[in-house]
Amino acid sequence: MPEAPLVVAATTAPPKRRRAAPPALVIFGMVWLVLMLAIAILADVIAPYAYTALDLRNRLSPPIFLGGSWIHPLGTDELGRDVLSRLIYSIRTSLLIAFGATIIGAAVGTSLGFLAAHFRGFVEQAVLALVDFSASLPFLILALAVLAFFGNSLVLLVCLLGLHAWERYARIARGLALSAGAQGYAAAVRGLGASPWRIYGRHVLPNIASTLIVSMTLAFPEVILLESGLSFLGLGVQPPETSLGSMVGYGREYLTRAPWILLAPASTIVLTTLSVSLIGDWLRDGLDPTLR
Amino acid sequence: MKPGGVLLEAEGLVRRYEMRRGFFGRAVEVRAVDGVSLRLERGRTLGLVGESGCGKSTTGRLVLGMESPDAGRVSFEGALMPEPGSTAWRGLRARMQMVFQDPLGALDRRLPIATQIAEPLEIHGIGGTLERAGRVEALLRAVGLRPDQGLRYPHELSGGQRQRAVLARALATDPALLVCDEPISALDVSIQAQVMNLLLDLQEQFGTAMLFVSHDLRAVRQVSHRVAVMYLGRIVEEGEPDAVLHEPAHPYSRALVSAIPHPGRSGQRIVLQGDPPNPADRPSGCAFHPRCPVATSLCAREAPVLKQRTDGRLIACHVAHGEVTPGHGFTRQEAA
Amino acid sequence: MLRFIASRFARAALTIAMVVTFAFIVLRLSGDPAQIIMGADAPPEAVDAFRTAWGLDEPLWVQYFSYFWAILQGDLGRSMRDGRDAIVLVTERIPATLALTLPALAIKICLGIPAGIYAALHRNSLADRIVMIIAVAGFTVPSFVLGLLLVLVFAVQLGWLPSGGQESWRHGILPVITLGLGGAAVLARFTRSAMLEVLGQPYIRTASAKGAPWRAVVTGHALPNAAIPTVTIIGFMVGTLIAGAVVVESVFSWPGVGRLLVVAVANRDLAVVQCILLLVAITMVCANLIVDLLYGLLDPRLRAAPRKAA
Repeated sequence: MPEAPLVVAATTAPPKRRRAAPPALVIFGMVWLVLMLAIAILADVIAPYAYTALDLRNRLSPPIFLGGSWIHPLGTDELGRDVLSRLIYSIRTSLLIAFGATIIGAAVGTSLGFLAAHFRGFVEQAVLALVDFSASLPFLILALAVLAFFGNSLVLLVCLLGLHAWERYARIARGLALSAGAQGYAAAVRGLGASPWRIYGRHVLPNIASTLIVSMTLAFPEVILLESGLSFLGLGVQPPETSLGSMVGYGREYLTRAPWILLAPASTIVLTTLSVSLIGDWLRDGLDPTLR
Repeated sequence: MKPGGVLLEAEGLVRRYEMRRGFFGRAVEVRAVDGVSLRLERGRTLGLVGESGCGKSTTGRLVLGMESPDAGRVSFEGALMPEPGSTAWRGLRARMQMVFQDPLGALDRRLPIATQIAEPLEIHGIGGTLERAGRVEALLRAVGLRPDQGLRYPHELSGGQRQRAVLARALATDPALLVCDEPISALDVSIQAQVMNLLLDLQEQFGTAMLFVSHDLRAVRQVSHRVAVMYLGRIVEEGEPDAVLHEPAHPYSRALVSAIPHPGRSGQRIVLQGDPPNPADRPSGCAFHPRCPVATSLCAREAPVLKQRTDGRLIACHVAHGEVTPGHGFTRQEAA
Repeated sequence: MLRFIASRFARAALTIAMVVTFAFIVLRLSGDPAQIIMGADAPPEAVDAFRTAWGLDEPLWVQYFSYFWAILQGDLGRSMRDGRDAIVLVTERIPATLALTLPALAIKICLGIPAGIYAALHRNSLADRIVMIIAVAGFTVPSFVLGLLLVLVFAVQLGWLPSGGQESWRHGILPVITLGLGGAAVLARFTRSAMLEVLGQPYIRTASAKGAPWRAVVTGHALPNAAIPTVTIIGFMVGTLIAGAVVVESVFSWPGVGRLLVVAVANRDLAVVQCILLLVAITMVCANLIVDLLYGLLDPRLRAAPRKAA
């Protein structure tokens, strides 16, 4: 029976829908990501050496495919540290930081977005002013400034990196909360007598969750790139901890003599960011093509 | 709950908005509701009718306390309406509910409708899990849905079924008052009649009072015990539905009634001159006078008061009360 | 229209004020600046003398205002390392940075935009796929990796180009290419999606259904509408003219503002860091302001008066 056209705020996509099989590249991305996660979780078990273990007799030895031996399959660096082990631990560090930062950013951004949508008025203006402020500085500069002032600690680094994309989540949360609130289900539930906690927690948040997750997936590789950039400059992860970016930074001096030191972490960075980006793009196209 | 007895009283409700015309324009005050008083009786329906922009939806929200009036007050069961959003107000929601025009927008698309019907019971802490399930089933049946349809999602139902679900949810806590804001406008004509009958059945079954807001005079007449006609934020006529429909007293009501298509009816269709009502540009005196076919110079100067006529009808019109001889419309009189 | 311009200017000024406040707060929060700067084992009298010299013993709001006032006058403190004025130190490095970022910007625009437009117009063709692959590579390969790879190939293996320093114009080739390629890839991807979105609009179909030649439809309708979001991104790139080369300058040991910042952060030379922060913020805010004003010109919808909903 044909219905009269309704003015509908939300999309009418059903919540459960079977997706078409992902393209080959996305599958590759998923496989790689799973591999990285496995390495990160099992680091202590699979790494042949500690990442600070020195083997001074075998300094700068080349990897297997360039004439090295199985003692150090990916070669060693200038202090005789095993590149493979350092790579494994670096993957764990970088992924941990990226996960932590993304989750922090999403939590902070979404909360601020909800606050802005719920209270309107001054609170909203303050949040929008903060968004302006974030947009006025390229994040790298901001991060460097904060690191200069506060010195270096892992916790600070994670929080800082998390905040790099907070305004995206805030924008999504605010926009969707507003449209739900004005004429939609949030207004209806409020009319039922629900408390704001219930409105946002039980209704708005589940409805925006998929959009938020897509954003998080797209922001994740950016965090990895930012952290590697900072660590490369020597300002991110500090020794004795090691991350993919800092490995590239240390390996730089030996670019001519021992390029394998930085090639291994560099390719890992590229492949990991590529994988997550591909997955994120595919998720976004599947869920909401209007999100660009 | 036997019908009769005052449930809700609204006195002198005023609701203003500010609009700015252009960058350099002054702020213009828009009076969406300008001095509306009404009374709702237990178990009875008051129909509120008028064209878009006359303020009827805003009146509905003010009655429920979803917005605070800028002037005037609302008292429900003798007590003043609490501030919107406060804990007292939230608790009061169990006694009064709203049914919106767009049922799809009013429902959360991620939850099956049975969960949403049960939600008011959860919010107000009514009954244990088993009792709630039983009540949800009873409600589904009462609105004409099958219990298995409770497991569906909103987008899996038709428009009429969705509106029934919304009704079931609204009635979950057995409220004393239901405000229906254009509940059938978005539905197919054939479904409209079904939902209207459903509303009547539910009122009989639950004894709920209703404020039925619509632009459709016929629908209002079908469900209401009393009808009020609104124009530009004010009530211009109020009375028994059949009486108002057959003998409208206010010139605006007359025009509205004459516009209803009626097979085989002869008689003049009154076409109103002038611009459609704009709440931001309110005419002086009686708001209707620029379009009124019988307006006089008094109508342009003085706003008429809603007064009772000898037969019990409430009308806000100088001419209808016989205070002045009918004119020939203000614009024409100007020219003449 | 006047009100639009005025409001944008006000917003820009407010943002800059926020950045200054931010710098001040962060500076004060990060512990006693005197202690930090003098070091942990400096004698207390020296620390006190330092504190008085820098006015750090005044009440906080006095410090804030004198800070603001000093900045307005262009006094941004002295570098810890060599005692020279921070602002002089920074500004003398700007030409070196611009020598990289300006040619890179040219590459980004001249390479990225046509590539993106072409890919959008020939969707799903081989050229489109190649552009997309390169674009994704540009996004996922960090600038330092690209730079080091280029050095490995061109400087180490082939020996064609030098790997670091700023001696001759040839030293600038690799850094400019590194910067330019990365940005070109981002711009290509963005332009492509902006074009695709515009091409999918009903009015494009209408225009070509009216019989207009495809070329005219593209140049007359598609390009101008796709230009609007693209202008934002280019504005952003212009805004980062000073700050956009931090990593690349470090990779190639190029003595620009970026390199100065990295060194200053490592040494916790707060005056220099603060100076660069403000400079970058001002550049960015100005670029955004120009973009906003351009928007007002380009998009007629924005010029119409907005109405507050009743």
